[in-house]
Amino acid sequence: MSSRIFRAGSSLATCLAVCIGATAARAQDPVKIGFITELTGPWSFTGASCVAGLKLAQVQLNPPGKRQIDFQIVDNQTQPAQAIAAARSQDVQSKVLALSGPTSSDTALAINGYAEQNKVPFLVPVAAFPQLTKPGTRYTFRIEPDAAGWGYAWAKFIEKQKPGAKVALLYSDFALMRAIAAGLKWQATKSNIKIEPEIIFPQGSSDASIQAAQVLAANVDYVIWIGAGGFETTVTNQLLDIGIKPEQIIHPYGFTTLIRSWGKRSAGSHYGTFFDANIDVLTDEGKRFVEDFTKQNDRMPSYIENYCYITATIFREVIDRNPQAADDREKFRDALSTFKSKEATSGVPIEFDGNGARKEYMYFMELQDVGAKDYKAKQKFYAEWDPEVLPVYDLVK
Amino acid sequence: MSDATLILLLSTVTTGVMLGVIFSLVAVGVTIIYGSIWMPNAANGQFFLLAALFAWSASVSWGVHPALAALLVIGASVPLSYALEIALIRRFYDVPNRNISYFVLSLGITQILSGIFSITYGVWSDQFRIPPIVPGVTLLGPLPIANNRLVAMAAAALLLALLFALLRFHRYGRALRAVFQNRESAALRGVDVRAVYRMSFILGNAVVFAGGVLFACAYSFDLTMGWTMAVTAFAIMIIGGPGSVLGALVVGMVFGFTQALVSIFASPTIAAFSYLGAMLVILLIRPSGLFAR
Amino acid sequence: MNAGIRWWLPYACFAIAALAVPLLLSGNRYFAFVAGMTLISVLWATGMNLLYGYTGLMPMVFAGIAGISAYLTVGLVAAGWSFWPAMLVGSVVAALVGTVLGLPSLRLRGFYFTLCSLVIQTVITLAFVYFVNLTNGDTGISQIAPPKLPGGEALGGLAYDVVLAVLAVIGVVVLAVLVDSSFGRRLIAIREDEGLAEALGIDVTRQKLAAFFISSLFAGVGGAFYAPYVGFISPRSFDVLVSLNIWLMVAFGGRGTIWGPVLGATLLAPVPFLLQDYYTIKDVVYGLLIIGVIVLLPAGLVGGLKHLRPRPAPAAAAKAEPAQ
Repeated sequence: MSSRIFRAGSSLATCLAVCIGATAARAQDPVKIGFITELTGPWSFTGASCVAGLKLAQVQLNPPGKRQIDFQIVDNQTQPAQAIAAARSQDVQSKVLALSGPTSSDTALAINGYAEQNKVPFLVPVAAFPQLTKPGTRYTFRIEPDAAGWGYAWAKFIEKQKPGAKVALLYSDFALMRAIAAGLKWQATKSNIKIEPEIIFPQGSSDASIQAAQVLAANVDYVIWIGAGGFETTVTNQLLDIGIKPEQIIHPYGFTTLIRSWGKRSAGSHYGTFFDANIDVLTDEGKRFVEDFTKQNDRMPSYIENYCYITATIFREVIDRNPQAADDREKFRDALSTFKSKEATSGVPIEFDGNGARKEYMYFMELQDVGAKDYKAKQKFYAEWDPEVLPVYDLVK
Repeated sequence: MSDATLILLLSTVTTGVMLGVIFSLVAVGVTIIYGSIWMPNAANGQFFLLAALFAWSASVSWGVHPALAALLVIGASVPLSYALEIALIRRFYDVPNRNISYFVLSLGITQILSGIFSITYGVWSDQFRIPPIVPGVTLLGPLPIANNRLVAMAAAALLLALLFALLRFHRYGRALRAVFQNRESAALRGVDVRAVYRMSFILGNAVVFAGGVLFACAYSFDLTMGWTMAVTAFAIMIIGGPGSVLGALVVGMVFGFTQALVSIFASPTIAAFSYLGAMLVILLIRPSGLFAR
Repeated sequence: MNAGIRWWLPYACFAIAALAVPLLLSGNRYFAFVAGMTLISVLWATGMNLLYGYTGLMPMVFAGIAGISAYLTVGLVAAGWSFWPAMLVGSVVAALVGTVLGLPSLRLRGFYFTLCSLVIQTVITLAFVYFVNLTNGDTGISQIAPPKLPGGEALGGLAYDVVLAVLAVIGVVVLAVLVDSSFGRRLIAIREDEGLAEALGIDVTRQKLAAFFISSLFAGVGGAFYAPYVGFISPRSFDVLVSLNIWLMVAFGGRGTIWGPVLGATLLAPVPFLLQDYYTIKDVVYGLLIIGVIVLLPAGLVGGLKHLRPRPAPAAAAKAEPAQ
């Protein structure tokens, strides 16, 4: 009898030991996130900047005692087909909890399609295309405000600065620029802003002096120029060369490498951002982030690096608050959709609506000075708005 | 004529000249190589970009004066071309249908270069700008024009003139034309064909490098410009007539001006379509190229 | 057909291999995806081989035609058509458009044709970006649904891969049949010496047009199946770099041979996917691979290997590919 009790007891004890051990072992398995971003190809700079921001977050991301989070960084070559292949590999082979990483709209849209079809939570750090969170989206969450909203916000800004203004709109024919322009034009009609001329540059353009002359002749109050890469700074400089005043120039978005190339004589022009070393309110963590990043990368961080930094902190917070979500995609998705917090670096609130879109915001900055390495800007205005204050999902497909 | 209209016209002319000379330079460089060793160099865009990036490194990272950086970079192209010629190019001199092999080879070189750029320059910045050789702005009538742009235009035009003189009047130029027409008879006439080949490869690349450096002086640039330039250069070469330096020059200038002129009346996209359309029209009328020999 | 023992043996082997690969990899959707992309590349390389390998024309518009077919097919399906008729219409229309666009360049010889088609490809890409209402421009079209079978069920993973394998096999067989026919011999004559071919009474332009049309069909069918397989298309999915990559597979593998491009596609297509982890050196490796092969075997893999193997009989020698 006692031997039976003894055997039962010992098998129970063994069972318990194994179970506890197994749970403990499983709790030790790091949570894997597939971070698929652009490390080669046309968007290699934004992808690499994003990873630089992420790496800074990783320094304090996994303190002992907490469930480890492991970001598996994969290159998508700025090619949608490669992005989908990588998403598939991360999902099927590595069995990640969630996907993240893209900074370019087309790769983000490609992964978004995969994520929705295969029910994988997808937290997009930097990629502003509205359709990422079109109505009915369940698994995709976008951290950066959508591009059409940026255009909307700038139209409202101009309306406040100069009612009835005449504005020249110049942009390159890329998805992001078209989205911003669409939002701007939609609000412009409501804000009594006249857009003329509107000039679209095909991909691969290199010279805009003639268009600059046309803008000069049009005698406008503001010139809004939406571009990227070398052409962005070429056009900015050609506008300034021909005699457009810096106070007239608006860049809907600006970050360090662009601003440096705009040069000293751009002081007085406006640009938009979501995080910048010059904004009014930086938390202590934000200040540390700026310092550490500048030391490591020889340039000040802008919103791209910041978004990838806080992507890591969001994952950390969600998993800390909802430990069961760390191993279950559906639970993680639900936890994200009810997530309410603030950006660790600036205190801006983070909250996602039913489609995964974030409540939007922007800082409107006025450039004061540009040095060889740094630049100084003044925060002129800050605005928050709801993503669906304009028919964003119909405006831009 | 109002100031605004005059500014528009003057800026059209200067843009036409600026784009024209850069296009011409690169097309001439590609033509010299194609005309002599029958190598369509698909990597010309990446060489163009390489020159611009080196000039950026020299002037921004090392603080060298941009004019000096330009000369250094063009000078650096000589040993680079020489090494490439010895290692790869000269193996194919006697291969029939070598233009195909060369095209594949140059695609391989393109891939290697763009891969290297992606993980180096592509990580450091999304666009690059060289400090001006001569800062400031000059007034051309009512048109303010950046001094740097004037310098780049003048240098490119001078370079083109020198090249033209070299090829038309100098002994090397005559040797090059002889080799292009018929290498056997050129050899019979005492031309050292292989030496001409080597010279052409080095000279052609140096010209493309010069184009890249001068482009970087006038404009900001990024890694995507490699392919755009390569396609344009080939298009110009074909229309001008492969092997015809004069053709490359003339057609390059025509392209620059077509784009500029159409831009006055129509959107930049139509301007781009228009010069591509012009290309097709010329090809239909004279399939062997305008200045083919 | 070739007087040799069991001429159909290599084709049967290829068919078995092509069908086996998706079945073997069906457990791993990632590798199956890579295999599927490779099969599409085989189809495309075979199509380009007809024009480049056997007619001597290098069509840089190939990707553009695939793109026209892809966009058209996706558009028709979105308008309510079933995939299969949409695919047929898309491919044929794309092939017709391609032939019309190719008309001016057909007067040109050799490299002139190449560069003219390069320009046309650039125009096509610009048009894809510009005509936003038709193609959604630079944004691309995402979440493209897989084709539906007549029963109403969607073509799932393994089944889709099998379909792609079947397409690749059909493509290779069609090419083999064409090459061996009098049409194929006329094309080879044009490739070798266009002037002579014309003197012999061959209507060069008509043959080129026919070759162009058939080659474009390969491009179009591949494009129509590419779109739902990847699930996302954009102008950059069909730009000049894609044409060049397919051309590279043909030249690398050995143009003018049936199996050269198949081998080239099989070796080159998976490289960008499999080397994803080694992204820092991937491009350099790809470039070195290409340079290495072309230096060692200027006629491509299969072309070069053919020259190494001793000829079995004079009759076979007469049939063998002329020196590159």
